[in-house]
Amino acid sequence: MALFNLSLPQQNRERIWWAWIATASAMFIVGLFGMGQVLIKGLQVTGLSDRVPWGLWITQDLSSIAMGAGAFTLSAIVYLFRIERFKPIARAAVFVGFLGYTSAMIALAMDIGRPDRFWHPLVYWNVHSVLWEITWCVVLYSAVLVLEFLPILFATPFFARWPWLEKFGHILHKASPVFAVIGLGLSLLHQSSLGATYGVLSGRAIWFKPTLPVMFIISAVAGGISMTLVLTMIVGKLRNQRVISRRLQFDLSRLAGYTLLAYLYLKLWDWASTSYYSHAPGTAEALTRLQATTPYTQTFWWLEIILGGIIPAIILLYRPLRRNDRYVMIALALVVMGVTVNRWNVTLSGLVAPPQWSPGVLGNYIAASYFPTWTEIAVFIGILGYALLAFSLGVRYLPIYSSDREASET
Amino acid sequence: MTKKKAKKSSLLSRRDLLQILGATGAAAVVTQIITSGPLSTEAIQEIGEPTHDGESSSEHEWHMGIDLAECIGCQYCVWACQATNDVPDDEMRWNIGFPERTEGGTDFFMTRPCLHCREAPCVNVCPVGATWVREDGIVEMDYDRCIGCRYCEVACPYDVRRFNWKVSSEENAYQPTWGVAEVERRPRGVVEKCTFCVHRIDRGLEQGLTPGVDQAATPACVVACPVNARAFGDINDPESPISKFLEEKESFRLREDFGTEPKVHYVRPEKEA
Repeated sequence: MALFNLSLPQQNRERIWWAWIATASAMFIVGLFGMGQVLIKGLQVTGLSDRVPWGLWITQDLSSIAMGAGAFTLSAIVYLFRIERFKPIARAAVFVGFLGYTSAMIALAMDIGRPDRFWHPLVYWNVHSVLWEITWCVVLYSAVLVLEFLPILFATPFFARWPWLEKFGHILHKASPVFAVIGLGLSLLHQSSLGATYGVLSGRAIWFKPTLPVMFIISAVAGGISMTLVLTMIVGKLRNQRVISRRLQFDLSRLAGYTLLAYLYLKLWDWASTSYYSHAPGTAEALTRLQATTPYTQTFWWLEIILGGIIPAIILLYRPLRRNDRYVMIALALVVMGVTVNRWNVTLSGLVAPPQWSPGVLGNYIAASYFPTWTEIAVFIGILGYALLAFSLGVRYLPIYSSDREASET
Repeated sequence: MTKKKAKKSSLLSRRDLLQILGATGAAAVVTQIITSGPLSTEAIQEIGEPTHDGESSSEHEWHMGIDLAECIGCQYCVWACQATNDVPDDEMRWNIGFPERTEGGTDFFMTRPCLHCREAPCVNVCPVGATWVREDGIVEMDYDRCIGCRYCEVACPYDVRRFNWKVSSEENAYQPTWGVAEVERRPRGVVEKCTFCVHRIDRGLEQGLTPGVDQAATPACVVACPVNARAFGDINDPESPISKFLEEKESFRLREDFGTEPKVHYVRPEKEA
């Protein structure tokens, strides 16, 4: 606990705050340079190839959206199911969701070869494509998040000079249950479809399975709640005050824990039925090659299952451990790590072990390897910097937590 | 009393649970209604199906045959394709070729154009409908619509599609020896692939030529082959070279188990004893 207890004089705390803001800004600026490179020179500056056309940015895109899943989950719990005691975290969840979805959209804009045609999926429809459905859902849901977020913004002193804005914000806030329903529907669709992006590709045995969409949405709910809660706890530690009640913190930890347990259960059967109890030639062939040429088997078991799944599940569900804030924060961070590693592993494992189609024995090993270039890493860091900067400023200047509102009301 | 208290402190009360179940059910029903009504596949197909002119009619279906036993590995088909379709970069070859060996130890040369699958995985996944299977079976691309997301590359199990990672500005070393550019080069940021030389087929039909028989209406790779290892034509025409190829030779298609229904047929490299 002492680690986080910053009982420093006010002046030092200000200094730390500005140092942190400078760090996040520097990350963002590094990213801007990377983005400039990409826009000027095209995607040749990446480590991607025709055999591995998706990599680090897709991972960032998938995990940012997963980390934003706390927004629809908690909005539904609070505004739809009217479980009022979760309300103090709802705004934070919506804010984190907004940052996750905007991060994903920046990553996607960098990743497509023609960013000038980003609007094409909205005009040229192909309803058979899960990616078309995802694009629509993400665009619509981002709009929902903006509408859910606006009342928070309009409640700030800056906007007080236009009283009608606050009134508008109130109306929007009144409509929260409606947004919660729409948000729930859209999220149930696209959070699973992101898994279906891989799950429907019958030509790639390692991906082709109906469990992927379900595992994606359940892990997103676990990751989204964990992300929101761990950020909230960090804010609390830094402010040296409780921003949410201890009871709510326990409830959210348990919710994340149970969701994680459901995810692990699905993962167990996914593994057992596709590789342990069965022997589908395509899957077996791809897994053998993966095992021989990449570390993905290790990262799957150690980072996804043990560190990212079993250990945090124990901490979050075993009461004596759950009572220790530091353990809980580590557990939540591990969940976030596990879900992110999962998105990387799913993407890359299917690409680096491509199907063998040549009728001979030599051509089956056309090289397929990938390592991100510095430009890709710079853009990755930049998008992360954007999210961290926006979160820090938002938490400082906007009434995200109920304790802020009480402070501003008195 | 104590029992009741214990229940209250649990994560979700029974009432909460019922509410959640009810609302989830309602959401599912709404989703079902929406997707079966205005957003049903049938209703949207008309909007989603790209309408393109061009000589597409259901009377023809173009197939290709590649006899690996006849192939001598000269690579003329690879180079002719690069010249005709203006692909200067060897990394981006539409029609790739490489030395191969059978399990039995017979050396052969493997070449592979786009297989123009009837159930093309690349077509289903495109979020903007920039690629489609024409009525005559050719998998076509619209470079002006492609956003460069590369999902089609991810979906294709045969490594057929190529992305323009950079501006293609270098000189084409295969011109004019192996042919001249018959189509425009593609811009940076879009995906491309073998077209079965669709421009030759469409123009040839207009001029009353027979693709597969008349050279001007036949894919460049087929024309370039010095040993006639490749055959092309309309599978609905029993007299076409491809129909005869399939009738005379025992052929197979690459990874039939994918269910992609390719339109390129191969003959095994081992010469029958």
